[in-house]
Amino acid sequence: MDTQAQYDNVMLELRRGVIVLAVLSQLEHEQYGYSLMKSLIEQGLNVDQGTLYPLLRRLESQGLLKSQWKVEADRPRRYYSISDQGQSLLPRLKLEWENLVKTLAGLIR
Amino acid sequence: MDLLDTYISEVGKHLPAKQRPDIEAEIRSAITDMLEDKSQKAGSPVDEAMTLDVLQAYGEPEKVASTYLPEQYVIGPRLFSAFKTTLQIILPILGLLALIGFAISFSRLELNAANIIELIIESLAGYLVSVVQTLGGLVVVFYILQIAAPNLETKSTQWDARSLLKISPPDRIFPSGPVWEIAANMAAIVIFNFFPQIIGLAYRSGSGWVTTPILSETFYRYLPALNLLWVMAILLNVFLLRRGQWQTGTRWLSLGLRLVSVGILAAMVAGPSLIALNAEALSQILQKQTAETLTGLLEWIVRLNLIIILITSLVDAVKQALRLFAGVKPAVIVSLK
Repeated sequence: MDTQAQYDNVMLELRRGVIVLAVLSQLEHEQYGYSLMKSLIEQGLNVDQGTLYPLLRRLESQGLLKSQWKVEADRPRRYYSISDQGQSLLPRLKLEWENLVKTLAGLIR
Repeated sequence: MDLLDTYISEVGKHLPAKQRPDIEAEIRSAITDMLEDKSQKAGSPVDEAMTLDVLQAYGEPEKVASTYLPEQYVIGPRLFSAFKTTLQIILPILGLLALIGFAISFSRLELNAANIIELIIESLAGYLVSVVQTLGGLVVVFYILQIAAPNLETKSTQWDARSLLKISPPDRIFPSGPVWEIAANMAAIVIFNFFPQIIGLAYRSGSGWVTTPILSETFYRYLPALNLLWVMAILLNVFLLRRGQWQTGTRWLSLGLRLVSVGILAAMVAGPSLIALNAEALSQILQKQTAETLTGLLEWIVRLNLIIILITSLVDAVKQALRLFAGVKPAVIVSLK
């Protein structure tokens, strides 16, 4: 495995770790998958559909998100939003993330 | 059917039927969004080239479908160790049987280079076929275990280290033990009931191979009782796997099965020979004196083994009973091997 491939692999693992928190934080107002993906990319977090859509389904099956199909101008779209269970978890996750960032900043200095 | 329909259909082929419509609808919606976005940016309506670009970016159908599926195993990481151990035991046994068959064929061979090479190639091919068959059979048995005991793959999320204080070491069940017992008992049921011809000596006679059964009719008279014992041992070990530790009920059942196995072994030792091979049959392929020595030796080895297993089982049964009555728990898993 060359250096670039190793870098890509590690970055993939890192992104996988943080994307749950990013998704939960963005779904306080409901969004459909593509708009969420665009929003994340515009804010600097690159994520592809192959990661995002299965993750949304997994978080829904874990009870952290809820979803509903809506038809607008003959276009069916699945809208996701954070569930009550997700809402109660989110502040703790945010706090944990802030602690993690501080710790890592110290470690890698 | 347009390109998008074809693509969705290709993805759907790799998805489980239950989830397929929902995932297909979501992928269709996502791709349509991407197409609309692309069309707006280009300032032109969606065309075939644009659709192809988006589908290319979305990815290969099989790969897209795989992102929706959990990791699946034929033999998962926790069973693989038991699978490997079973193979490490069985493959040398197969090798030994193949060597015995080779030695008998060799002793009857008209010695010339062509015959020897042919015999070596045929013996190797026979060994490879039996290895592949055994491997296939074991994979099926372990796959069934994988499905039947899915909790082997995940540990309880509520596990409390203090629970260790309540479990004395002999009570603890390590999955590899029961898994090996289940596999061995299942293999015994399958081999003795459906493929009894496997238990024989294969040797080359004239232009073809001849298999002589090793076990006599007398042995097969014990088969119904052995089947019952093996099935009960499988059920006991499945139960132990689920519970993760010995309990009073499972100890009593284990003791009962051990006593039944002692009874069957005692009948085997006292009864007629379990070996079908006799000097007369073997003298067709070996010298008479060698055949008589070999059958006598085989008979002696089998009886001695039965007696050793009988004594070991009896000692185990007594130890289990004493410990059960004294409240001390034995860590023995029943099987008749």
